Amino acid sequence: MQNLNKRYLQDPNMVSRVIVDETILVPIRQNVGDMESIYTLNETATLAWSLMDGENTLEEIRDRIVVEYDVDEEDAQLDLLELIAQLQEIGALQEL
Amino acid sequence: MDCPYIPDRKLGDLSYKLLEKVGRNRIPIAGSIELTFRCNLRCQHCYVSHGHNGMPGKQELSLAEIKRIFDQIAEGGTLWLLITGGEPFMRRDFKEIYLYAKQKGFLITLFTNGTLITPRMADFFAEYRPYKIDITLYGYRKETYENVTGIPGSYEKCYRGIELLHERGIPLGLKTMLMTLTQDELWDMKQYAEELGVRFRYDAMINAGLERDLEPVSFRLAPEDIIQIELQDQPLVDEMREYFDLRKDIKVDPHQLYVCSAGLRSFHIDPYGKLSLCMMAREQEYDLLSGSFKRGWDDFLAQVRTQKTENERECNSCSLISICGQCPGWSYIEHGDEYTKVDYLCQMTHLRAEKFGFIHL
Repeated sequence: MQNLNKRYLQDPNMVSRVIVDETILVPIRQNVGDMESIYTLNETATLAWSLMDGENTLEEIRDRIVVEYDVDEEDAQLDLLELIAQLQEIGALQEL
Repeated sequence: MDCPYIPDRKLGDLSYKLLEKVGRNRIPIAGSIELTFRCNLRCQHCYVSHGHNGMPGKQELSLAEIKRIFDQIAEGGTLWLLITGGEPFMRRDFKEIYLYAKQKGFLITLFTNGTLITPRMADFFAEYRPYKIDITLYGYRKETYENVTGIPGSYEKCYRGIELLHERGIPLGLKTMLMTLTQDELWDMKQYAEELGVRFRYDAMINAGLERDLEPVSFRLAPEDIIQIELQDQPLVDEMREYFDLRKDIKVDPHQLYVCSAGLRSFHIDPYGKLSLCMMAREQEYDLLSGSFKRGWDDFLAQVRTQKTENERECNSCSLISICGQCPGWSYIEHGDEYTKVDYLCQMTHLRAEKFGFIHL
């Protein structure tokens, strides 16, 4: 079970751009992510990403998603944990 | 020259997804910037040959000015950025410029002649990878290459540059200008690229110099000769037919001067901070040192973009208008106005339509 008190910080080597409502993550350095790819985030993931500032805990981020999108807490948590795993895989996050 | 503003399909479906979302909205999603007109080569056909040593009395953008412009175009929504020249590596601060562009999150394509790529520079690109580097070949054999470039030793430097990038797995494309000076070695160059496993393309559309210098035009192949070459290139034939098929029921407003994506999704900036619709159409420029990119894009280019053609223009009634490469920028540098038909482009369009089968509905 993931510790929901964990905090994450966006890796400075991943730039996020918002273009025509699409959030795009662009890696700067080779050791971050798969350089043949750039990554797009959906609306919920965009909110979660914006909250990964090293201050908010996973629990706080989950709760924001529940409030903003009126979704079930369990579903929000599962989605969030999956997103964290994906972002870690591409090197977009630093765990504090 | 080919129009460099249409992003290709290499990056999954994101390009299409974004372009679809952009739709008819005017968003400057793709831009190009010439960092300098200076170049270490002296190519016979070059369209900026007057600027090889820099333009007298003109000051290139400083690093700080370029950074400010990058801030503004990122804010405006630019994702694809083409960095070109001249030869962009002639800028001593190239790395700083490039890194700043990376930090802004642009997907960077770099056009270079490849001759100034050192192992250290290749290592730099391996760490901070571009979306793509396109290197222009001016021949397959040394004699041909250096006859075009005018610089002894440039051939070895170019091919070494290609190897340095290729062995580091940096996304690479090779291209050439198909002209009288290089035509005999086209297929050798293509084969070389294929053996490396990199994309190859050629461009036979030699345009006049930006100062209305007609010298480059003398190296053009005749349209009939270009078609003969294109017909030997089956993938190109297929691509052309697919394109014609897509365009057959497109209605183009003949009274609209600009019907391409210039000023709609793309823009160009020259070494001195002048913003224009594209690399070809520079006769109407906006000074980014005096005003913001937002003003330049929202007001100035919007107005340039919506200009009307002259009513009597003979192209207005042409059934091939939806597939024609006729361009106001070409007209200007060849004829001194934006309306006069460029015969060479016209002949190419008619021949291609005939040979590749275009039926306008």
